[in-house]
Amino acid sequence: MTSDEEGKAAVIKIQGLTKEYDGRRVVDDLSFEVRPGVVTGFLGPNGAGKSTTMRLVLGLDRPTAGHALVGGRPYTELAEPLRQVGALLDAQALHGGRTAQGHLRWLAASNGLPARRVGEVLAQVGLAEAAGRRIRGFSLGMRQRLGVAAALLGDPPVLLLDEPVNGLDPEGIRWIRTLLRELAAEGRAVLVSSHLMTEMAITADHLVVIGRGRLLADAATAEFIDRHGRTRIRVRAVDAAKLAALLGGPGHGLDAVEVDGGAWEVTGAEPERIAALAAANGVVLYEIAVQQDSLEEAFMRMTADSVEYRAEAVA
Amino acid sequence: MSAVPYTANAFRAERVKLTTLRSLWVPPLLSVLLTVGATTAVGAILGDKDHSITDDPGIGIFYGLNFGQAALVAFGVLLIGQEFNTRMIDVSLAAVPARGRLYGAKLALGALIGLGVGALGTAGSYAGYAATVPADWHGPAFARAATAGVLYPALLVVFCLGVTALLGNLTAAMGLLTPTVFLLSPLLVGVPGVRRVAQFLPDRAGQYALHYADDPQLAYGHWTGLAIMALWTALAAYGGLRAMRERTK
Repeated sequence: MTSDEEGKAAVIKIQGLTKEYDGRRVVDDLSFEVRPGVVTGFLGPNGAGKSTTMRLVLGLDRPTAGHALVGGRPYTELAEPLRQVGALLDAQALHGGRTAQGHLRWLAASNGLPARRVGEVLAQVGLAEAAGRRIRGFSLGMRQRLGVAAALLGDPPVLLLDEPVNGLDPEGIRWIRTLLRELAAEGRAVLVSSHLMTEMAITADHLVVIGRGRLLADAATAEFIDRHGRTRIRVRAVDAAKLAALLGGPGHGLDAVEVDGGAWEVTGAEPERIAALAAANGVVLYEIAVQQDSLEEAFMRMTADSVEYRAEAVA
Repeated sequence: MSAVPYTANAFRAERVKLTTLRSLWVPPLLSVLLTVGATTAVGAILGDKDHSITDDPGIGIFYGLNFGQAALVAFGVLLIGQEFNTRMIDVSLAAVPARGRLYGAKLALGALIGLGVGALGTAGSYAGYAATVPADWHGPAFARAATAGVLYPALLVVFCLGVTALLGNLTAAMGLLTPTVFLLSPLLVGVPGVRRVAQFLPDRAGQYALHYADDPQLAYGHWTGLAIMALWTALAAYGGLRAMRERTK
């Protein structure tokens, strides 16, 4: 990133961030940046340290080592932070006895924000009708929307949302996806965490993947898909033995394995090349199927070693 | 840049938190009603029969405070304890990251409401007592007892708020403060050997300033009693501040 870009907007910079609880490393020497104008997806399996990282950014936890800066300063030094960073950590962490409006009113007062913002953000998240209702009766989806409203209250250039999709229905998921893209298009820096790879592949321009608190990938989404979404080509031949002799033998430089009933899977080659190779050797193919690994699989593969809790884990 | 507007905003936010949550604004009102109501009711029933409320007018006038302070303890604890229990404290700290500013705003609001409850409760109690009990409530101790009647609720709220911040937990604070203030403290003073120590408990010491008559069994005077309570309050408030700063683990 050039210094010119850095001057454009407040940006989150995380350097060597480490957090230990009782000797357990939850966040481990993590470094990455969140840039303005793009949606940065913060991905990792449950327990990977995403929420802790966000808490560290907001100064709610103190790092064991390293630091997180917002616009070049620690969050705790910001006098009116809601004008600079909008955050949604835990949509349940509010008092159910207040109305949606009441909750936003004290937040607005705390940072000297005009009271009209309360109505504006409630309308923006589709809660205008529920403004005067007690939060106690809200569904998780409504609470998420209220949390997003709270994050937008100060019209901040930086947004930090922890699993905002949780509890939303399909319409809500589509809504938040569009909203995040719009917010980024307005030039804001958007950091959104999720454990759903496919959701992030659609929403995020940039991906930061962590596992066991460690950085696993930090790349543009397209680049990440190119690199990790492996293409496999499934082929079958009229004469299975001939195909086996061809692909099973040496000399063709392909990564091929027999999968089932005479079908072979070739990784890392274009279908044209396989067809040409087969033709040159007189093997008649009757199936060439290009199979793109889903991103979910890529994500699982990448984080496989770092998943905290696994069903089949053996002691 | 001056921090004054930020502090004013933090205070304003606490005020809005109070007015937007029924469980926060009801206890202070309830405290005034209980204080004035109980004093007046007892005066009307026992006014010319029971010497204990006429011999020392202070005891009769502030009889209702024994009930009213229950709501004050709840208020002091809830003011910050509710944020711990709902984890809303994280939202508050994200909005006002300066721990001292957030905590100070809560203390100031608690103290202010406490003073208001004290002023209304004291004025109402005097009026209720004067109307029902044929005793002279003027006396030389009037100014001191009335002042203490205004200050005691404020000190009690701040004390409870400080202890709750120190413990960082609503349930623990309620569990510690309620039996101590309402059960143990009055009970312990009745035990001869323990009294020597128990008389220095904050509520015991503070309430002595409400009395008109001298109690030769106490090791301190009326004003000193209030000062002892103020010292407890200052310690609790400071302990709470330390805990708020340490909260960020």
